[in-house]
Amino acid sequence: MGVVLRNLQKVVPLRRARLRKDVDTLRHILGVHKFDLGIICVDNNRIQQINNIYRKKNVPTDVLSFPFYEDLRPGKLPCPLQRDELNLGDIFLGVEFVMKQCQEESLDLHGALTVITAHGICHLLGYRHETEEEWTEVCMEIDA
Amino acid sequence: MLKSVVRAVGAAVRVSSAASTSTTARALPRVCPTLCPPSSATTRPFTRSLWMLNNNGASSGYRPKLFTSKVLSPSVSCGCGGLHTEGDKAFGDFLSDEIKEERKIQKNKALPKMSGGWELEMNGTEAKLTRSLAGEKITVTFNVNNSIPPNFEEEMEQGQQKPEEEPEIVSTPNFVVEVTKQASKHSLVFDCHFPEDEMSHGDGEEEGDIFAVREVSFQPEGDTDWKETSYTLNTDSLDWALYDHLMDFLADRGVDNTFADELMELSTAVEHQEYIKFLENLQGFVKCN
Repeated sequence: MGVVLRNLQKVVPLRRARLRKDVDTLRHILGVHKFDLGIICVDNNRIQQINNIYRKKNVPTDVLSFPFYEDLRPGKLPCPLQRDELNLGDIFLGVEFVMKQCQEESLDLHGALTVITAHGICHLLGYRHETEEEWTEVCMEIDA
Repeated sequence: MLKSVVRAVGAAVRVSSAASTSTTARALPRVCPTLCPPSSATTRPFTRSLWMLNNNGASSGYRPKLFTSKVLSPSVSCGCGGLHTEGDKAFGDFLSDEIKEERKIQKNKALPKMSGGWELEMNGTEAKLTRSLAGEKITVTFNVNNSIPPNFEEEMEQGQQKPEEEPEIVSTPNFVVEVTKQASKHSLVFDCHFPEDEMSHGDGEEEGDIFAVREVSFQPEGDTDWKETSYTLNTDSLDWALYDHLMDFLADRGVDNTFADELMELSTAVEHQEYIKFLENLQGFVKCN
């Protein structure tokens, strides 16, 4: 399967091939290229709606992750027995939110999306950042 | 047909001479009551039975209404010579109301404009959008016929949906994008559609792309017929990276999600316009040619 990429928004002129290539590179770096992954690009309205439903935060954000495996130890890859379970989950990218940040900080949109996707994959692999210690762990993983 | 009617009438006469007329009348097929002259002695039983069926007798209670005429005599003042029935009148009245209602809900009489400098040409139900970009010509063609997907809504529990809420009718036509470079004999042609998301319940939960490419092929430039012998790339089992490149190619030429959304709006408006025109033509046809 690989990466299922969907672009549900029309606010940001996204280039799918670039995003897919970067996500594939990330998957290899993190050692999860055998696992399927869903990337869904949405606008502020949609990401805010999802943020509100699942985190009770009625604001747009940059990324929301929905792991296939909910209780992974950080960094420990799952060992599924069946092909159907070679799945990490889905990542919703708030591309409109990210674009606004890039405009404010003069950053390249697709570069920023790649970093944010890495952040999302870390969540799918069990990393959390509710504490300072956990946040440091995530940053180290992304920097690596 | 006249010969078989005469044969049937003749058979009815032979039967009726040996039996009561009431049973014979029910057995008779529908025939024109003026076929047999009422004064003829040999056909009197048949004529009487016809008279009974015609339900004109003063003493008639319930009679089978085989000969009740629902055909209004062609109006002398109309002069069109066409058939005008009570059904046609009711149909015409229904169409008047329907046309009034459709005009009320028509969002705009003028068609919505596409952003991005697209020029629109209409040919009945077919629309063609064209645009030039750095020497390339991009054409998008679609037809509004059969462009409204069926609405297979799940049965709602009582009280869950207000009865006056009707689903919005949206036209999602298949469309063809042709990209032609200058001095090229071939166009790169994309057959696109709006995928029907099976998981969608029309409440914002769609998780599919707004539009998708189904097939890609090279076609001779300017030809209207699809050349079957040109290799056609089907995207069903296509490498996803290649698919994304194709989508990016289209997006660079203005065929992106924004375009797809605007095309849906345009197609919906065109379809509604054509539907009203059809109702008006139908009304004219039913009333008088």
